[in-house]
Amino acid sequence: MIGVDTQLLALLTAGALIIIGLFAAILIDNLIKKIVGLSFIEEGVNLFIICLGYKEGGVVPIFLPGMDSNWFALNSAYPLPQALVLTSIVIGASTLAVMLALAMVLYKKYGSLSTSKILNHKTDMGDEE
Amino acid sequence: MFELIIIILLIITTLVASVLALVQTDLLKVAILTGVSGVGIAFLYQILLAPDVALTQAIVGGAIIPVFLALAVKKTKRVDDE
Repeated sequence: MIGVDTQLLALLTAGALIIIGLFAAILIDNLIKKIVGLSFIEEGVNLFIICLGYKEGGVVPIFLPGMDSNWFALNSAYPLPQALVLTSIVIGASTLAVMLALAMVLYKKYGSLSTSKILNHKTDMGDEE
Repeated sequence: MFELIIIILLIITTLVASVLALVQTDLLKVAILTGVSGVGIAFLYQILLAPDVALTQAIVGGAIIPVFLALAVKKTKRVDDE
């Protein structure tokens, strides 16, 4: 009973994180906050994938001496999503670093982190030409 | 029952920190609240039977991402004036 509730609550958390991240990435004007929103979307998707491998009342997928292999195969959580998400977290961190570096380059060029100001600046330059 | 209360507290902490991170005007507070949200997700991974992912998320989401954000804020502007 509690295990099903745990999985459902974690799935709802993943959905809420994805919605918060989409809201931030679309509607907020500041570049740093947009990047933070994209990182929230990544964390929500990782949490969703981990939730799919959860087993109610199960054990951690580490095979210890003394365990019966049939019992372990029936009761352990599914380890493949965990191995994939482990890679995805590190890739997410490096993607965030690249996005922040591009935001710093934009700030150095336009003197502002606001996306509307950067867009207006570009159209003004186009009109002058 | 006790586990369920802990899980609900963790989820509330994570979501409230995520929402609060997006309404701040000081961008350094955005970095710190992102770290709080990452640590909450790390505890949630531990409850979901994935301790190796929880270790990685605790290091990456709790330390490395806030440091990256703080460095970017230091190189640019700290206050978000609309």
